[in-house]
Amino acid sequence: MLDRSQAPAFQIPDSIQLLHPEVRLLPNGIPVHFIPTPEIQIIRMEICVSASLDNLLVEKRFIPFFTLEMLVEGTKTKSSEEIADFFDTYAAEVDTSIGFEFLQINLTSTKKHFLKVLPVFRELLTDAVFPEQELAKKKRQKSLQLSVNRGKTSYWASQLFKREMFGADHPFGQISVAEDVDSVQREDLIRYYENHLWNKPQIFLTGNVGNEEIEAIGELLGDLTVRSISPVESKFVNKPNHRVYEEKKDSVQSTIRIGCHVVPNSHPDHLPFWVMNTLLGGYFGSRLSKNIREDKGHTYGIYSAVGSLSSSDYWMVAADVIKAHSEEVFIEIYREVERIKHEPIPTDELETLRNYMAGKLLSQFNSSFEMISRFKSVHLSGLDFGYYQRQLEYILSFKENDIRNVAKKYLDPSKFVEILVG
Amino acid sequence: MINYQQFTLDNGLNVIVHEDLGSQIAVVNILYKVGSKNEVRGKTGLAHFFEHLMFGSSKNVPVFDTALERVGGSCNAFTNTDYTNYYITLPAVNLETAFWLESDRMFQLTLQEKTIETQRKVVIEEYKQRYLNQPYGNVLHLTRGLAYDVHPYQWPTIGRDIQDIVDYTQADVEAFYRTHYRPDNAILVVAGGVKTADVQRLAEKWFGEIPAGNIKKADIPREPSQTKKKIKTVYADVPSDALYKVYHVPGKLEEGFLQADLITDVMGFGKSSILERQLVQKGHVFSSVENYVTGTSDPGLMVFSGKMEKGQTAEQAEEALDKVVGAFLQNGFPDQFLEKINNQAEAGLAYDQIQLIGRAMNLAYFAYLGHPDLYIREFERKKNIPIDSIMSWAKNILKEENSSVIYYKSNN
Repeated sequence: MLDRSQAPAFQIPDSIQLLHPEVRLLPNGIPVHFIPTPEIQIIRMEICVSASLDNLLVEKRFIPFFTLEMLVEGTKTKSSEEIADFFDTYAAEVDTSIGFEFLQINLTSTKKHFLKVLPVFRELLTDAVFPEQELAKKKRQKSLQLSVNRGKTSYWASQLFKREMFGADHPFGQISVAEDVDSVQREDLIRYYENHLWNKPQIFLTGNVGNEEIEAIGELLGDLTVRSISPVESKFVNKPNHRVYEEKKDSVQSTIRIGCHVVPNSHPDHLPFWVMNTLLGGYFGSRLSKNIREDKGHTYGIYSAVGSLSSSDYWMVAADVIKAHSEEVFIEIYREVERIKHEPIPTDELETLRNYMAGKLLSQFNSSFEMISRFKSVHLSGLDFGYYQRQLEYILSFKENDIRNVAKKYLDPSKFVEILVG
Repeated sequence: MINYQQFTLDNGLNVIVHEDLGSQIAVVNILYKVGSKNEVRGKTGLAHFFEHLMFGSSKNVPVFDTALERVGGSCNAFTNTDYTNYYITLPAVNLETAFWLESDRMFQLTLQEKTIETQRKVVIEEYKQRYLNQPYGNVLHLTRGLAYDVHPYQWPTIGRDIQDIVDYTQADVEAFYRTHYRPDNAILVVAGGVKTADVQRLAEKWFGEIPAGNIKKADIPREPSQTKKKIKTVYADVPSDALYKVYHVPGKLEEGFLQADLITDVMGFGKSSILERQLVQKGHVFSSVENYVTGTSDPGLMVFSGKMEKGQTAEQAEEALDKVVGAFLQNGFPDQFLEKINNQAEAGLAYDQIQLIGRAMNLAYFAYLGHPDLYIREFERKKNIPIDSIMSWAKNILKEENSSVIYYKSNN
């Protein structure tokens, strides 16, 4: 008879297999980092540019967004419709994204059609014309989307959190509202496209890429005019604890955000802080999740996370909770913060945390697509790929004390921003 | 396209193995053939609620996820109208732990009162977070409720209303477990850095002794053909009107489903699709539009939905939509659309190869439909459907009397 009470033996991985990307420089200095994966018949190319948002006026905050959105809306030789027909026919997709510090323009295509779609993709980067009619539609769409978001407590709490953390006068801290869309003009986009967009581009590439594709990229993107505008260094400091509360009478839940600024990922305290955050709220077995969800049932989900910026990271707790229990949830979050700072961590919990983190790390490198995306995120913050090996080594070797100390050093509730909406 | 081997244990558990020996990771995906379509009125949402209970304790495992996290694993699950799917990712060397955990909760889940009561609260919060505390959040409830008269697809997986979640009893969840969580009602897929022989040995060892259920499932009422258009108007504090118009379509493996799917590929897929072009880019009534089929195993819905630009009404939107649909029925569509759709389908197959977990879920899903090879067979079948067959199904489906419409109107 099988003895089910005995858990099977297990091992904890002590190394990750990292595929180091190859790198090639295009004539204009754009680096192309690539991991060829011959067995996958898809090619994904991400062009990452440094956002030079700093010098944008507050009322012009949507310029980068609309510039990216409008790339596929017409070029000197092709209409919006022709571009859509072309990419859809060859099952290729152009998508864009916009973050605090980087903007991305991405092309995903089958290997079979990559060489055919690449020249048209290039046109978007060099010959976009930003037609008025398409821009007007996009503006109305964005404005409606913002009005819909305004009705979501979680969206609004995140906006208020940004504002309190980074300041209303900083590009990171600006709240997006429908009215700001109106001021965006075609000329703004053209100016941004011509003078700012191609700022320190880097290319990240994976899938079945061979010499032919690399050469085509060199040929078609190697003559783009690129710029090197350095962003203004931002220094964020924690302010005294304050709460922003916005009541929403008809809301059936309340959204909570709590956070503060912490050291960047190049700092020696970063790894211990990252582990501490996981213990507190970074996984399903975390203390916040066990306490607020699995024990009290006050929420469908609560988590804490670390966001990465070049000058510093920021830390945040987030949850949508039962309205009547929102104060209690605040108290419990603070209680868990104090417990981490002052109480020893039970051996069992420490072992679970360590093993979970090691396994999770390993599972994040399971395809070349994940691999290049992990590489991109450390590379863009100025670190090397060995960062992940160091993460693993740290997971396997950290001391309980390190966690407590880093919590004491950085989690100071008298300097937290608190948001409550609902 | 996806290599696999399969075998069935004596107790009826269907096991599928996908070896990817380059991987250090294993995925263990277990699909139970139970979804919200197996629920009854008054107890709606039970399949999804039960998914939450599966993460409680079983006889030898006090807390499921802690035991898994201790060996470097993580897990999650989802429930839909047709089935419930659990998946674990862990270092391949620790594969046996996943077998221990999954077999223990299939064999002897403890269903403690504390778990039931806490998860009841958690699921009520999930209901509120996803369906009540969002603009337009209740629209799934409204459309399904209007379109279906007798089939359980009339409520979404979360349940018809919160009161049903409040009312589940201990006896309800125990009966649900005994009826549906049996080896002969499940498909186990093991994928990644694993060898078939090892999986076979582990499957026998851990699942072999679990008795089969041999339980005959209750019949699910078949939705009769709709004979009259249904309309419902609701008002809410939302920034603009929205329109939802749905038509009944055949179930996933039934004759006509692929034609329905192709109709939505032509009408609604991508920026070059007919609806996007006619209604969004060239029109001023729609701000956005969507068109898709639900793809359920029993007869599903073809959904047309959209948000209106500010000041435009849902009724005007329906008129504009009907005009475009009418022109489509009259004129069909150019041949080039098929080239586009085939290229898209081929690209889709290639994308599916990227993630190990996606491959595992695909195998489980198509095995649930009848056979893992249906994945590729349906792809081939779809590629060879001629235009006149698509158009004749379009005329059959896109009839007013087959439609249900929600005018979701803004109070402003």
